Amino acid sequence: MNNENEKLIFEEEDTQKGRFLTFNLGDEAFGLEIKHVTEIIGVQPITLIPEVPNFVKGIINLRGKIIPVIDVRLKFKKEAIKYDDRTCIIVVDINNISAGFIVDNVSEVLTISEENIVPPPEYKIGFQNNYIKNIGKTENGVKLLLDCQKMLNEDELDIVEAIAM
Amino acid sequence: MAENNIYNEHMMEMFNFETTQLMEQLEEILLNIESTSIMTEENINEIFRIMHTIKGSSAMMMFDNIAKLTHSLEDLFFFIRENKVQDIDFGVLCEIGFKTIDFIGKETEKLENKNPADGDASALKDRINEILLELKEGKPSNTTKKENQNISNDSIEPLPVNHEGLNVFKCTVKFEEECGMENIRAFTVVRNLTECCEEITHEPSELIDNEESSGDIAKNGFILHLSTKEELNEIEKIIKESLFVEKVDIEKVENQLSEKKAQVDIKEKINSEIDNTNSKKSNIVNVNVEKMDKLMDLVGEIVITEAMVTNNPELKGLEIESFLKAARQLRKLNNELQDVVMSIRMIPIASTFHKMHRIVRDMSKKLNKDVELIISGEETEVDKNIIDNLGDPLMHLIRNAVDHGIEDSEKRKSAKKDPTGKVYLEALNNSGEIVIKISDDGKGLDKNKILEKAKRLNLLKKPEEEMSDKEVYNIILLPGFSTNSDVTEYSGRGVGMDVVKKSIDKLGGSISIESEYGKGTSISIKIPLTLAIIEGMKVSVGKSIFTIPIISIKESFKALKKNIIKDSFDKEMVMIRGNCYPVISLSRHFDIESDVKELSDGILIMVETESGSFCILADDIIGEQQVVVKPIPVYLGQYQESNSGIAGCAILGDANISIIIDVTGLYSQLMN
Repeated sequence: MNNENEKLIFEEEDTQKGRFLTFNLGDEAFGLEIKHVTEIIGVQPITLIPEVPNFVKGIINLRGKIIPVIDVRLKFKKEAIKYDDRTCIIVVDINNISAGFIVDNVSEVLTISEENIVPPPEYKIGFQNNYIKNIGKTENGVKLLLDCQKMLNEDELDIVEAIAM
Repeated sequence: MAENNIYNEHMMEMFNFETTQLMEQLEEILLNIESTSIMTEENINEIFRIMHTIKGSSAMMMFDNIAKLTHSLEDLFFFIRENKVQDIDFGVLCEIGFKTIDFIGKETEKLENKNPADGDASALKDRINEILLELKEGKPSNTTKKENQNISNDSIEPLPVNHEGLNVFKCTVKFEEECGMENIRAFTVVRNLTECCEEITHEPSELIDNEESSGDIAKNGFILHLSTKEELNEIEKIIKESLFVEKVDIEKVENQLSEKKAQVDIKEKINSEIDNTNSKKSNIVNVNVEKMDKLMDLVGEIVITEAMVTNNPELKGLEIESFLKAARQLRKLNNELQDVVMSIRMIPIASTFHKMHRIVRDMSKKLNKDVELIISGEETEVDKNIIDNLGDPLMHLIRNAVDHGIEDSEKRKSAKKDPTGKVYLEALNNSGEIVIKISDDGKGLDKNKILEKAKRLNLLKKPEEEMSDKEVYNIILLPGFSTNSDVTEYSGRGVGMDVVKKSIDKLGGSISIESEYGKGTSISIKIPLTLAIIEGMKVSVGKSIFTIPIISIKESFKALKKNIIKDSFDKEMVMIRGNCYPVISLSRHFDIESDVKELSDGILIMVETESGSFCILADDIIGEQQVVVKPIPVYLGQYQESNSGIAGCAILGDANISIIIDVTGLYSQLMN
């Protein structure tokens, strides 16, 4: 029975395979695997939480569920900008952990076929490269595809770095 | 095991649940027998019934090892019951009973973890058979037949065997009405019989694969034709072992002219005993905890929504008499609903307490100490979630008390104490909190020894002269501290007390130690009645709203300038009625912008913790509200220390989030 379930889940994931939600931070375009995305909401009142790195903005109330929100700009060591009505929170569910990613704006859902996805360059220049799993080539330019696991699970090192900031 | 597909997870869950419950009952009975050295008929019947039920269900679930073990124990008690054996060595009997409980406990644990139940019970079984043999030999002749129904081998004369050496029987088995899944029950019967029968045919012939067979069996009974070397009564016995069998009609066929017909109404025997206990429980429904949690969540949402409606800003300034009336009514009903839901989750702490009997018993045997456990307040009710997490710390504390606290009887005699050591386990309900006290009349804690060791381990935070007794005792709660240098089987690995403290902390509770050297130790645990909904006081700091649990608030006041003291490190304190209390400013602690810079501008809320009182500075008090405690998201856990001062969060009526202050956590931060 379990096998069947797994198969079902697998098939369900299959229909979402290769589909990415793209969003922008300044000039750069990023992609998130659609299977992780639960919903997209506007910016809400955020309750501050002490003793967290600066990119964790706090917690929000999503219909009775309390989820943490992360400013992706700050996470990628970019300059903070003021939130406006284009700012979005992408609510994701990664391994049963819910979180919101604050991004400048959301653009579209794209299908990127496997042959257009390439690994990122070997060299690690810049902080955000740690979070880039792949690079997707599309008609409208290159999308940096995020590694969702890494977005939420920090290495020890990253935490130290983040707190020291 | 193809049949396993039929017994889906639900069956498994039921089996584990049922077995665990029965084991607990059995344990209680055995402890009772052992301590009083009296075994009433009722006790025997009860044990017999428990063994019978477990045997039946485990056989059905195909756990042969459990089934066989319980079978042999059932035989033993059957013999005792039928022959009214009186001169039994209760020690031996209970020992074997406890071993069985342990074995089955281990097996069910394996099953719960989805491992096969593969333990070997043969040694235990042999031992039971040995005892049974001894008993039989001790009473060879005067086995009196008290019961006119023949159940056992011992009390019936062997039947003449026909010329082929095979008896042929026609059996009609009736199952209890509405027992459900008759086909599976029937299959179990067949399975039980295969071992001793040469040939079996049955009607209906298709059991497992034919869904309709179930109804047929329920209507007409289950008809078996078998040829076997066994006697009628043996077959009867085997059939009756299966669950839910109500009635068996066995006819001997072929050349037996004097047809033996035995009709045994088991309902009057075994099942009547089952019914006896069932009737006691029939008003109780077992509910999955998940459903209860869901219900709790929903009630929580209702409480929030109610506040959302009645405090709706759009209503402000409106003259709405009838609305307010209706709102009050709603609030009343909501409160009632909440109370009922909470009371559903409340279960008496008795079962957790009674498990401790066993621990004390085992330890006193092993360590050769004479220890008595005295329990009081076991009817105290606590939230299910809390009870589940209370067992381990309690067990640890009890072990400590017996192992380290109570001296051996020699020493006790020379100290002019009662040679029997006493460990008290008490629970009482104290205004929204449960207090659990574990005390012993043992040797007490040795302050000097603790200090010495703390110094050696570098655990002292201040000069020892300045430490109060309480602070010294609290050292043993620190990680890496264990007063006993010998590691014993039961306690003393140095991970003890700090683990206890941590698990109590997790429950939102606190722990305190009192001791008098030579007289004994007493450890009190205070835990909240429930974790889910609390009465909170809302306070504002800048734009944020915090909630302080009302339970810990002593008073709130405006501080006068002359009462405010600053020490050389710029730490603020306030003087109230001759006492000096430290102050924590929420805006500074949580780094929130606020207009209130001076202590005298804001409002001070004095809160009390187990280890001391202090004041919290907030901008203003908003009011009381019942809030539903929600945990801080897991994700944030990786950044936060356990004592960050946040107990959780609550959603307010306006859908904003308020952080619930962890008063104890704040205090310990203040102290470090």
